[in-house]
Parts: sequence; C-alpha cells; structure tokens
Amino acid sequence: MFLRMITASLLRRRSRMLVALLSIGIGATILSGLVTIYYDVPRQMGAQFRNYGANMILLPSGGEKLTTGEAQEALGAIPADQLVGATPYRYVTAQMTRSQLSFMAAGTDFTQVQATSPYFMVEGAYPSGSREVLLGEEVAQTIGAKLGSVVEISYKPDAASADAATPITPGAALAGSAEGFNTNLVYVTLTLDDEMKIASLTVNADTQTPEYGGRAAEETYTRQFIGKSLPVRLGEDVDALSGATITSDAVVQAVNSARPTANAAAASGNTLSLRVVGILDTGGKEESYIFLSMSDMAALTGAEDELDVMELSVSASGAELEGYVSEIAEKHSGITPRLVKRVTRSEGAVLSKLQALVFLVTAVVLLLTMICVSTTMMAVVTERRKEIGLRKALGASDSSIRAEFLGEGLMLGGLGGALGAALGFVFAQVVSVHVFESSITFQPLLLPVTILVSMIVAAVSCLLPIKHAVAIDPALVLKGE
Amino acid sequence: MLFRMIRGALFRQRGKMLLIAFTIALGASLATSMINVMLDVGDKVNQELKTYGANITVKPKDSTLLSDIYDVEDDGSAAISTSWLREDEVGKLKTIFWAFNIVDFAPFTESAVTLPSGAEVTAVGTWFNHHLDLPTGESLDAGVTGLRSWWDMTEGAWIDEQAAGSDHDVLVGSLVAQREGLKAGDTLTLRGPAGEQTVKVAGVYDAGGDEDEQIYAPLDLVQALSDTDGKIASIEVSALTTPDNDLARRAAQNPKALSTRDYETWYCTAYVSAICYQISEVITNSVASAVRQVAESEGAILDKTQLLMILITALSLVGSALGISNLVTASVMERSQEIGLLKAIGAHDRAITGVVMAEILLTALVGGVAGYFVGFGFAQLIGHSVFSSSIEMKPMVIPLVAVLITAVTVAGSMPAIRMVLRLDPAEVLHGSKA
Repeated sequence: MFLRMITASLLRRRSRMLVALLSIGIGATILSGLVTIYYDVPRQMGAQFRNYGANMILLPSGGEKLTTGEAQEALGAIPADQLVGATPYRYVTAQMTRSQLSFMAAGTDFTQVQATSPYFMVEGAYPSGSREVLLGEEVAQTIGAKLGSVVEISYKPDAASADAATPITPGAALAGSAEGFNTNLVYVTLTLDDEMKIASLTVNADTQTPEYGGRAAEETYTRQFIGKSLPVRLGEDVDALSGATITSDAVVQAVNSARPTANAAAASGNTLSLRVVGILDTGGKEESYIFLSMSDMAALTGAEDELDVMELSVSASGAELEGYVSEIAEKHSGITPRLVKRVTRSEGAVLSKLQALVFLVTAVVLLLTMICVSTTMMAVVTERRKEIGLRKALGASDSSIRAEFLGEGLMLGGLGGALGAALGFVFAQVVSVHVFESSITFQPLLLPVTILVSMIVAAVSCLLPIKHAVAIDPALVLKGE
Repeated sequence: MLFRMIRGALFRQRGKMLLIAFTIALGASLATSMINVMLDVGDKVNQELKTYGANITVKPKDSTLLSDIYDVEDDGSAAISTSWLREDEVGKLKTIFWAFNIVDFAPFTESAVTLPSGAEVTAVGTWFNHHLDLPTGESLDAGVTGLRSWWDMTEGAWIDEQAAGSDHDVLVGSLVAQREGLKAGDTLTLRGPAGEQTVKVAGVYDAGGDEDEQIYAPLDLVQALSDTDGKIASIEVSALTTPDNDLARRAAQNPKALSTRDYETWYCTAYVSAICYQISEVITNSVASAVRQVAESEGAILDKTQLLMILITALSLVGSALGISNLVTASVMERSQEIGLLKAIGAHDRAITGVVMAEILLTALVGGVAGYFVGFGFAQLIGHSVFSSSIEMKPMVIPLVAVLITAVTVAGSMPAIRMVLRLDPAEVLHGSKA
C-alpha cells in the first residue's frame, strides 16, 4: 500500500518529479565524477611527473661494478606496475680516433632510455641495431659529425682501475692515465728495470692541444724520465713543458699512479666504427656524451655485463620511495640506492599542491551542488502543501504523512543517485581519456556512497518543508493562504 | 503599474523569491569561483613548478672550444674574452620582451681550488640573493637560493649576500664536508690558480647529486681566486613559459625561416624558444638553450592541469545551470493559478510574460551579484589554502557570469511560462490541472 502510494504519486506528477529526479541526478553525477577524479589524479599526475626522468639511482657499493643480474634482483623490491623504466649505464672515457678528442661514452639500453628520460629530443632515431651510436649535440658539433656519418672510437682501459693488488715488481710493464688539460686523459705506458727505475716511457697525449701539451709525447720530453725511480717529482726529477704545465703534471701523475698491466691486449684497447643514427638535444650535460648500446659497449671495453649506475623511474610517492631505498639497501649489500632529490622533492611539493587544489575544488563544487539540489527539492515539496492539508483533513496522522513524503524523497534520491553514479563515472572517464589519455579505475565503493548521499540529501531537504506544512492548520492550507 | 505588480509579487512571495535568489546566488558563486580558478591555475602551477630549478641555460657561443683557447692564454686576452659572458650584462635579462616572466636567475663561474688538506674540489661562484637595481627602476633579488630549492641545509643556513661580512662565506657540499671534517663556522684557506682566500663555512648542504662534491661561494670570491674578474661561464634562468606547440618547435629550428606573421606570434608568446632567442639577443656572444628535462615536463604538466580544470569547470557550470533552470521552472509552474487568474481577468499573454520574467530576472540580478562576491571569496579560499597567494580577479568573469545566469534563467522560465499560458484559465483556476 505504502509503496503503491509513493509510486503512484511519483508517476502521476511526472513532470514535477522529473525535475526533482534530474536535480538529484546532477548532484550525484558531480559527486561521483569529481570524487573519482580526485582519487585518480595523484596516479595520473604522478605518471606525468615521470617526464622529469629518473627519481632513483642504484649505485654499486664501494668501487666495484654492478652486474645486470644484481640490479634486476634489487628491482624486485619495487612493484612492477610502479616501475616506469630502469636504465643501465656504463660510463667510460672513449676517444675519437680521427679527432683525437676524448668524450664520455655511455653504454645503455635504448628502449629503457625512452621510458626513463622521455625529455630526450633525438634528431634522427635511437640506435636499434649494433654498431650504431647516438651523439650528444655538443659532441656532434665539435667533431663535425652528421646523421649517417661514421665515427671511429677507441677505448683504453683506465689503468688505475686495473687490479691494484698486483704488486709492482722489478721489470714490470706498467700503464697509467691521468686527467690532463680540460679533463681529457693522458695515457702512459712504461717498463721498469731490475732496480725499479724507469727503463722506457711512452706517452700518448693525443687528447691535448697538439702544439702545447701534445709535445709531451715527443721523445725529447720523455727521455728525462729514464733512470728516475718512482714516484717522480715534477720540477725536481723532471722539468715541465713550457706552456703546458697541466699536461706535464698529468704525465707525472699518470706515471706515479701506473699499475702493472694485466694483459697487453686490454692496455692497447679496442676500436669500433659506429654509424651516427641520432643526435641528442637535452640542454643538459648529456649533450657532451656519446651513447651506444650495451653490446657495443661490451665490444669496446672487452668487459661483459658491467654497470656503473642503474637509473630508475618509479611512479610512487616520496614516502614509498624512501621505503624502497631502505629495503634495497638492507637486502643487497652490494648496491647503494639513492634518491634523486631534485626530482623527488619538487615532485612531492607540486603534486601535493595539485591534489589539494582538486580536493578543495571538489569540496566547493559538492557543497554548492548539494545546496542547489536541496533548494529544488524544497520547492517541489512546498508546492504540495495543499495535498498535505487535504490528507490531514481526511484524517491522516502527521507521522504517516511524514513517512510518505520521506519515502518518496528516499526513492527519488536512490534513483537519482544510481543515475548520477553511472553518469559521473562516464564523465570521469571522458576527463581521464581527454586529459591523461588513459582510462580510469572504477571505484566500487563509490556507487553505494553516491546513492546513500543522494538519499540523505533528498530526505533532509524534503523534511524541512513537510514539517512546515504539517504544522499548519489544514483549513488554512486548503484555503490557499 | 508594472513596477507595482512586480514589487508586490516580490514582497508577497518573499520566501519563494528568496529561495530562487539563493539558488541563483549559489550557481553564480560556483561559476565565478571555478572560472576564476581555472583562468589563474596555469600561472599558479607554473610558479609551483619553479621548484624544479632553471629551465634555460645561457652559455658563451663557443664554450666547447674553451680548451683550445685556454692554452693560448699567454698570447693575449683578446681571444679569451669571447669564451666568457660578462657579469655586468646579467641584469639585461630583465630588459627582454618577456622580462616579466623571468622569475629568477644566477650567473656561474667555476674554478678548481685546493683545500688545506691538499684535496682538490670545484668551487662554484654564483649569486645567492644578489640585489639588483635595474635601469628600468625596478629592483629584485636573484640567485641560487631560489634556483636550488631542493637543497637541504644540513648545517648553517643559506648565505645572505646582503648581510655585512658575508663576502667570505661559502657553502660546502655534504660529501666534501664529510671528507674534510668541515662544520658550519669553520674557517679555511682556499688556494686557487690566482691566489688564496680565507673563507668561513656558512653552511653545509645536501643536494643529492653532483653538487655535494663542490663548494658554492660568492661570485666575486671565485673570480678573485681564478683571476676572472667580471667574467662568468654560464647563467641559469628560471622563466615562466607557455607549453610548446608546432609553431614553437618550427621556430626553435630556425626563427628566420618563419613567415613575418608567424615570427611575430612566436616572438610575442612566452614559448621557451622565444625567451631563449630574446636572451641571446641581449647577452653578447651567448647561446641560450632550454633545459629539456625541465621545460618539456613543465609543458606537459601545465597542459594537463589546465585541461583538467577546464573540464571540472564545465561540469560545475552545467550542474549549476541545470540546478537554476530546474528551480525557475518549478517556481513558474507553481504560479499557474496566479497566471490563470491574470489571464481570466483579461491580461495579454505578452503582459503576463513580461511581469513574470521581470520578477524572475530581478531576483536573478540580486542573486547573481551576491553570488559573484561569494564565489570570489571561494576562489580566494582555494588560492590561499592551496597556493598561498590570492587568485587574480579577472574582469572578464563578470560579463561571462552575467550572460550565463541570464541565459539560464530565461531558458528555465520561458518554456514553463509558455506552457502555463497555453492552459485554459478555467481549468487552472479550478485546480484540476498542474
């Protein structure tokens, strides 16, 4: 009976009820749509912030190198859906055979580079096959290389990093290097005689300015080292080249830091011919690097599977990142994880502002919409004062009238809420697809919450006018005053 | 007569009219606040993104050839001066077309220095909060204090260049400090290529990057250490920019290749490439380039935030429009008896429409004005609690909201009035319909 009265009243007064239903529907749409967006914004915006590149790096502890296996194992601490990319890097100083200039060469995985450093602007393409190279713009300009040209690079192992444990014995062959002018390396190879004195010395100063530091390679300069014992002191045992003190200093340092060569082949280094397929513009220090694939790097250095650093781009909040850092540091003693503070700090600051913005906007819009909905409901109910008066005159009790109107309100609220929840999801989906180019996750909890809130708003806004109507004398109401 | 009727209706039905005015006020305030926030959100988020540091670096044109020039220093200084920028030109950054968009900047110069322990580190000379008086009459503080906002001062504090006696203060990177056992307040002697300076450690910073291996010192100090008075190696600039589009990308390749009209559009828009171009124009022998990591990401985030706000604004506008027209429709229907009576005593349809519309529009005016101010308050609330700065009051919002409210009110009431007028007055008065 009760249900029939409500449905009958709703159906009979179709147009008026449609107005009420529509207004509740709009309110519910805004509620569910905005709340869904609010929950999804950190995730979606977080993905945008990954444009800034790596926010965590894995470094080997001590002076060792990482292996890919170790790094991959450490990555296990980070959930796969949060890991945007993990790029391995192996850095060595390589030399261009033609121009004799030294540059930093980075071996890496180019598919991962595109994930962790989306801001890299490449003219041409990323290397995809072997013997292909990506040049930093500065490098390309300096050596005059263009897309399609072939560059030849060579690498001589840094003797200082060779096995330091091998003792220096009489008669040993040594190799060393040191940074000369403009941080370009100067290489030396020398042999000792039985009394630990220098028997022969060859200097490779090709990286230095030819008419100044370059003269360090000439025999007229190197012969003054012969017969001197290590360590050699500049200015006492040997004289500096005029006009090239930095190079002279580097030669002496290289001689003093020289280590026994493990094998002759490694000391002489490898040479690779690479085709330039891309030129990199970043506006940063990467422009002075050469990028090649890991396998080419292995061919160049003769050492497989060695990493200097692993760059990670992780889509997670600051606190989560700290958690991963301590977890990796604890479980893997060979790895030192570090956060790239510039990125994580700034991301945290901006992201929290954005979230606060969406939150406040949502709150304001919701508040105003809910008031709007209840004024409409009030108007619709106020209109029916006559009907209330008539019911009362016919002997209906106050509570039964209240119950009927409340039931009507609740039903409207429920219907409008369900309608709004569906429309709201559609709206959120449209926003997500247009703004972030990805679909949104459905919040199942939001459906009952939206319906409940709509019912409450509808019921509360019905109650007030009913209370007024019931309190008035039916005769007055019916008379229309 | 018309006036009296309207006034009568407004006063007699005070409660109902108040309800309508209130709803319209709510809708208007929602529209005002959302449009205001939407129009200003780009600037606000752009300001926030400045925490990522500089997005433009300015370098001497032939910096890559520095090495070759260095070695011939003995031969004469004419060749060398070309590979430096001039310190006295830094202020010119604030004279370019988009000077207002340049938020912060700092010149840099580097020198290798030897610490008392014999270790060599790089000393970076720069401005911290350098005070500049511009020829335009403006004055500002520029320097790395703003450009390195992510640094943690583990000890001490940033150098205050304007404080007396701070010209021999330095900041030490955390790794250097750890190795050398330096603490804030220590004094030490730095030996550079061209002299020695006794300095005081004002603070220790943790930058989480390469800078932890360096020492940051006032520009004059490092210039004295390396005998490079008045010369700087680079300038970092943080500028508010507009996200790049096709035009900006084409211009970045070669601005000269654009048509005159495109060139003007590009030059007069705050694209990062346009700002770079203008900087190169005022700083002698310089190349300004965008730091892609910062510039590109900023563009992406700005675009997304603005689009998001536009869509949310659209939803709330549709919501408030439907809310208002709903209520107006309901209130007209409610008055069908009154309208029927007017019709029965011989009033023209047009006269009735005029009276009812005038009443509703008058109510809407009151509600709209009140709503505008309330909405403006909401916008300020959002601005202050999220960005700690007020949202700019855009005059264009007023006509926008006025048109919106009028359109919605008319659209909500006209069909209802028409419908009521179509009914037979006898039936309406009898009360059997609607």
